[in-house]
Amino acid sequence: MPPPVDSELSALHAGDEHVVIFQLSSEHYGLDIQAVQEIVQLQDITPIPGAEAWVRGITNLRGRVVPVFDLRVRCGFPAMESTTATRIIVVKTEDGMVGLTVDAVTEVIRIQGDCIELPGQMAGMPGNSFIRGIAKLPGRLVSILALEYVLPVREARSEEIPESSRAAA
Amino acid sequence: MARGDRLLFDLDAEDLKVFCEETHEQLEILDAALVQLEHDADSVLLQRIFRAAHTLKGSSATIGHTRMASLTHGMETVLDAFRKGNLEPSSNIVDALLQALDILRDLAIEVQTQVDSGVGTEPVEALLRSFSEPGGLATPAQNATLRAPHTSSEPPAIPGGDALVTMVITIARDCPLPSIRCYQVLQVLDANADIAGILPSREIIESGSGDSLVVATIRPNTTVEALSAAILEVPDVESVTIGEAEPDADEQSVHEEDVDVAAMAVTRGEHAIVTAIPVARGGNQSARPAQSVRIDVERLDGLMNLVGELVIDHSRLQRIREQLKSVLKDASLAQLAENFEETTAHLGRITDELQEQIMRTRMLPVRSVLTRLPRLVRDVAQKCGKRVELNVSGEETELDRSVIEEISDPLVHILRNAIDHGIETPAERLAAGKLETGTISITAWNQETSIYLSIRDDGRGIDTNVLRRKAVERGLVTAEAAQAANDDDVLQYIFFAGLSTASTISDVSGRGVGMDIVRTNVERLHGQIHVRSTAGVGSEFIIELPLTLATMKALMVRANNVIYAVPLVSVTEALARANAEIANVAGQPTLRLRNQLLPVVDLSRALGDARDHAGPCSGRFVVATRHGDRQVGFLVDDLLGEQDVVVKSLGTLLGNRRGLTGATILGDGTLGLIVDTATLIADQHPPAAHRQAR
Repeated sequence: MPPPVDSELSALHAGDEHVVIFQLSSEHYGLDIQAVQEIVQLQDITPIPGAEAWVRGITNLRGRVVPVFDLRVRCGFPAMESTTATRIIVVKTEDGMVGLTVDAVTEVIRIQGDCIELPGQMAGMPGNSFIRGIAKLPGRLVSILALEYVLPVREARSEEIPESSRAAA
Repeated sequence: MARGDRLLFDLDAEDLKVFCEETHEQLEILDAALVQLEHDADSVLLQRIFRAAHTLKGSSATIGHTRMASLTHGMETVLDAFRKGNLEPSSNIVDALLQALDILRDLAIEVQTQVDSGVGTEPVEALLRSFSEPGGLATPAQNATLRAPHTSSEPPAIPGGDALVTMVITIARDCPLPSIRCYQVLQVLDANADIAGILPSREIIESGSGDSLVVATIRPNTTVEALSAAILEVPDVESVTIGEAEPDADEQSVHEEDVDVAAMAVTRGEHAIVTAIPVARGGNQSARPAQSVRIDVERLDGLMNLVGELVIDHSRLQRIREQLKSVLKDASLAQLAENFEETTAHLGRITDELQEQIMRTRMLPVRSVLTRLPRLVRDVAQKCGKRVELNVSGEETELDRSVIEEISDPLVHILRNAIDHGIETPAERLAAGKLETGTISITAWNQETSIYLSIRDDGRGIDTNVLRRKAVERGLVTAEAAQAANDDDVLQYIFFAGLSTASTISDVSGRGVGMDIVRTNVERLHGQIHVRSTAGVGSEFIIELPLTLATMKALMVRANNVIYAVPLVSVTEALARANAEIANVAGQPTLRLRNQLLPVVDLSRALGDARDHAGPCSGRFVVATRHGDRQVGFLVDDLLGEQDVVVKSLGTLLGNRRGLTGATILGDGTLGLIVDTATLIADQHPPAAHRQAR
């Protein structure tokens, strides 16, 4: 049972969160588990020629074509060879599923709402603009990612939507 | 009621969908058939029109759309007079009916939006009445109670006797499809008699729910004996019993009409949307009604995806089989491997069949596009002061429904052009020794894995000299190039953006934003468009389209460690680079292929792949491709053979990936990329004016 929280605080922090904790470089990041569909081992990814550096390509997830983004590069870290710990976090978005590669997934935890603070003092840190909050946990800081900021902006990819929806038919 | 008011109809969301679909279908039938009525008013056609109006009346009454019901009633009365030979379908009356049809469309939209369009039906109804009731005896308002049309006015005398006859027709109980026999009986009755009342009702029989007994009260147009003989010719009909009609037969039929409406309401309530669409094929009276079920397109797409998976799994199984075969040398295990092989082969056959069948469910006859055209031709021809006859053939040719949706606009555009620019005025035609009325023929046919649509007119043809002049004037080609080009090449100029041969801009064919868009639309469907024309004799546009967009035949290649599928329609040749004649022409590697020079580019580079080229065997092969008249050779590392690929979308998250149409799942479960050859070829052949910028 979650401990009862002060109503003002819960309005600020929207209560407790279940968060998937993962690593990019030496930093700890978290993603709300609501958005996470599944976590899979690194599998074959077909590169898309001419795509942005943070686009790793597309992969076949049980018959679906799912784009995979390199979260390291997206968050401003240098690209790195994948390791056996590398995972793809598959998230649901309005535009379908997306895979995000991370260096390692460490745990799924519940974070109390009042442990999460708004970012602000942390300016200059890589990936800052993608963060919606920072959780202070014993011994470490976890940056909670805002999925909508991580994904490319809609306007930039709105062309040719009828085209691709037809190809799907 | 005023424009903009909310309207409330007696139906829920699901019913609404069914109503709108049905109404749309009936309106399409009316549209095509009414225009045809002017030319030949045969009884089959009249029957079809009457039935469409009747169905609309019934369904609009069911939902409580009184204006729609009352208007269709007015149409029906006129149509009934045609049917009985009391009225000739003159051009005036057809105009009135077409007007009524336009209003019906507005009313149908009201149902969809539930907002009053403010369109009144009374003027057109009055117009219709002026034809159907020349004496103006009965006040039409009294008849607008939506009773059966047969009983609402005095039945006119019918040659061959106006006596009512009741027929009891029994169909063998053990016959496999009594409903079809019922329907056939109904058709025979329709052809030979005027039906005052029938049980089960017409709607029930036409929806394929008839049973082994039909009771009909009719006024035969022929002798009763001849009619019974005709009915007995229907297979499985056991007996026809003839009795005198009861005096109140007319009254009874009125009740039956009410029952019809009730029955329809029940069917709607159950969401049963199984319908039988009686298709009147030219001259083939015995055509069986095609049973059909409406299926959500999304559901079909889902099925299609699943089948795609199955195909892929099958090819995986085949690979496993190969591996097993090489490993299992032991005799008993070899037997096992053989069983496995048989099963895999069987699975393969079933999967192929399933894929084919599901593909078929996505197919629609091209008729659904063509039915709108006669009306269009009539209207446009009237506006232009031309006389045009439209011949349509091959309406039953089937196309993927997504293709059908997209092909309508190009078709309409070509047709408008043909009437506006192609067909001459009657005076000009007579002066040229042609028939006063021009002919436009639309033909659809199927050849191998393509569908062809031809639009041919017998007009003045396309003046290639005018095309030359305009193209040069607008800076689309140089004067030298235009002079050097032969007439066939010059005809292709018609597809250039910003070129219109009409010297004046008319409201019919716009201002030169035409044929280039037509070509673009066709090419987006992986199709091609060709034009032929002879001065003074006419022009022909031929659109070639793939059967479906869901799968395609492709040449699989590897370039920089990525596997690509190149649509086979665009591949003209694939050859080893060592055997190819490649030379640098003005700094551009160029392939000489049978006296033609093709620019050669690396496929992965053309797609924007900036990675270092991996592997020792870069660019070992050249794949020559063609789109329209342009050709390009693409360098690839490996040729992997031909394959049917299932096209999957890349989704919207990756943005517009120029040069790629999608992805496909390969036999090993990894993904290959499908190349959009049209775009890539266009990129290598920039318009002359922009060449510098690149």
